[in-house]
Amino acid sequence: MNAPFFKYDLFGDEISLVVAFAIGIGFGFFLERAGFGRARMLAAQFYFRDLRVLKVMFTAIITAMVGLFLLSRLGLVDLSLVYLTPTFLVPQAVGGLILGVGFVIGGYCPGTSCVSAATGRIDGMVYLAGMIGGLVGFAEIYPRVEHLVKATPMGQVTLAEQFNLPYGLLVFAVVLMALGAFLAAEWAEKVVGRKTPDPDSLLAPARPLAPVRRFAIVLVSLGLVAAFAGNPYRGAFARVDTKQLALDAGNKADHVSAVQLADWIVEGRNDFLLIDVRDAAEFAAYHIPGARHVPLAELTSDFVARNERIVVCSEGGIHAAQAWYLLRSLGFPAVYLLFGGLEEWKDTVLYPQAPPATAAPRDQVEFARRAAVATFFGGSPQTTGGAAPAATPALPKLAPPTPAAAPAGAPAGKPKKKKEGC
Amino acid sequence: MIEYTSTRHNPGIDPTLHLWGWEIPVYLFLGGLVAGLMMLSGYHLLRSRWDHDRAHGHYVTAPLFSLALLSAGMLTLFLDLEHKVQVWRLYLTFRPASPMSWGSWILLLVYPALAASALLTLPDSLPRLVRRLPVLSRVAATLSGRDGTVHLIGFANLVLGAMLGVYTGVLLSALGARPLWNSALLGPLFLFSGLSTGAATLHLLSHLTPRARGDAPGFSDALASVLVTWLRPPSAPEGSRKLEQADNSFLTIELVLLALFFGGLMTSTLAHQTGARLLLTGPWAAPFWVFVVGSGILLPLLLQFLQAQRRIQSTLVPALLVIGGGLALRFILVAAGQASHWSIALP
Repeated sequence: MNAPFFKYDLFGDEISLVVAFAIGIGFGFFLERAGFGRARMLAAQFYFRDLRVLKVMFTAIITAMVGLFLLSRLGLVDLSLVYLTPTFLVPQAVGGLILGVGFVIGGYCPGTSCVSAATGRIDGMVYLAGMIGGLVGFAEIYPRVEHLVKATPMGQVTLAEQFNLPYGLLVFAVVLMALGAFLAAEWAEKVVGRKTPDPDSLLAPARPLAPVRRFAIVLVSLGLVAAFAGNPYRGAFARVDTKQLALDAGNKADHVSAVQLADWIVEGRNDFLLIDVRDAAEFAAYHIPGARHVPLAELTSDFVARNERIVVCSEGGIHAAQAWYLLRSLGFPAVYLLFGGLEEWKDTVLYPQAPPATAAPRDQVEFARRAAVATFFGGSPQTTGGAAPAATPALPKLAPPTPAAAPAGAPAGKPKKKKEGC
Repeated sequence: MIEYTSTRHNPGIDPTLHLWGWEIPVYLFLGGLVAGLMMLSGYHLLRSRWDHDRAHGHYVTAPLFSLALLSAGMLTLFLDLEHKVQVWRLYLTFRPASPMSWGSWILLLVYPALAASALLTLPDSLPRLVRRLPVLSRVAATLSGRDGTVHLIGFANLVLGAMLGVYTGVLLSALGARPLWNSALLGPLFLFSGLSTGAATLHLLSHLTPRARGDAPGFSDALASVLVTWLRPPSAPEGSRKLEQADNSFLTIELVLLALFFGGLMTSTLAHQTGARLLLTGPWAAPFWVFVVGSGILLPLLLQFLQAQRRIQSTLVPALLVIGGGLALRFILVAAGQASHWSIALP
């Protein structure tokens, strides 16, 4: 059982919402217990009277950082499947400034304003209402400011990649930095904020091995382990579990039927990537709406983020199957292939065959549904003349419609915002 | 047009999926809530020596609230009727095998029982009206004059409340065509859900009725103070601890009944299992686990437990969560039940 659980299909969309509820309740509970539902407590850090927020947030960051690093080194978490927010340097710096100004004025950050509102504080409710109003306003003007929001793109970068440092060393450095920040915070509280230090403070505890010091020692030693533990990302050297691949291929869990794929596209699902591995000329002649052209040779380990759900299609299915093996051995966990390829797509989605008039009502209803889907994709249902079924599959091989023939407003054709992110 | 036929979300394509809209769940919720209120105030009437316990603010206004809520519920039921002018025909016959027939007669009996218990407390709940119409105060005095009459009214409320509460569940479970509803546990489940929402409503009323002045809390006063003491009541009124404890018992029983309900379905036929999975892992899993189990039962259980131990401040939040959870249970069960089919079990 590997993490991230959602990416490994341990549970689906519905249960992930239930998990989100449980995590949200827990997060809110601890924020409230830490006193973060009160604006005064949050604002106190700007006057160096009480730097609890800094301590709590930094502790959370280094705990998660060390934990994630070590768990991924132990092989329990696949870090490459964890979503990273893409960096847009200037817009995010500006956004951070706006958030900071709002924090100073209102006394809350987004999360703590929810906690405050939930505990019945009116200022928190007003803050939350303002935040929702701002979100709605931003969504309304988004098309006009999109180029500003997406300026200076840097892709999904990490500090380690950017500065070419070993990951473990960076983890260790951040742990040390956090400890330094804690010490500086306590010093500032004492000197600037005139706060009497807690008996169990890090700087001057009443007893030599106060719990907070023990915790610091544990974190530093774990950080030290991390510094020498190597790269947490499983690179191209990861071993391919051929047995697992064979099992996955054997039980057909990797198949997506043409009908199923068509339904996904009609429903406007955007949680998968459709990759067409045929050559450029074939792709230009016709492709499934929303498909992306990537020839077999260009399927590298970083051609898309590894946490994507990928459906591969080719003319008949052989190339797609080869691409499936290739991608699986490159470490993409969620790869599916369009069963029967574009041949099957044409036969069952674009030009479905009508059932004989004597067929069960259920089949008739199903065909009506398929006919509507066919029209959606610019195809046409094939009706047999009379009750006698055609002896040979008299399916006329019509010239497949050009991509322009597919409806312009096909939902999957438009790039949509991904569901992921924070 | 294409989307309608292909995704079948349009009521015109699959009308059977959308036979019941918001009216039925709202009626089932209000019916259960009133049943809970009737049982609690009936129990109160039976237990109390009437003269001493008059000042229990929430029990004073509860019958009037129940009458208003039940009438609102009946209105939604009426809105759902296909042949509205034919409704009187239900009262020309009684069919023991039909839950609809039982329901219409139970509702007919519930009104006088509620009206009697409302009359008992009318001098306290609507003092101005009683001053205008002195005959009402004479009726109230006659009714409350003898313990036997008060106990009779209490007993009638208790029994009819239980019947009403069970009937809201039986109404669904009698529809054999929907495997998800096809469980005899739906009656008790709705009864205890109704009791918990009833206790939460009483709790809400007890917070919203002013007690400091010593005189009787009026019905209109209670409505006006809804906005004033919204989330932070000055102090927990007397009796609210008992209500919290009662509510916690009801919620615990409801949780057990839910577990048994799913246990029964999951050990039954494939159609029943598929129906249960609609709620457990299927398209209704998120609202079910979050709004019914999470914030509707577990969270208020925990909050009321902590409040009863006086470890956190007493607020109306648990009561509001319980009421929301009861409403969500009806909506989700009605919607998911209509999506569960026997045809799923066919090859």
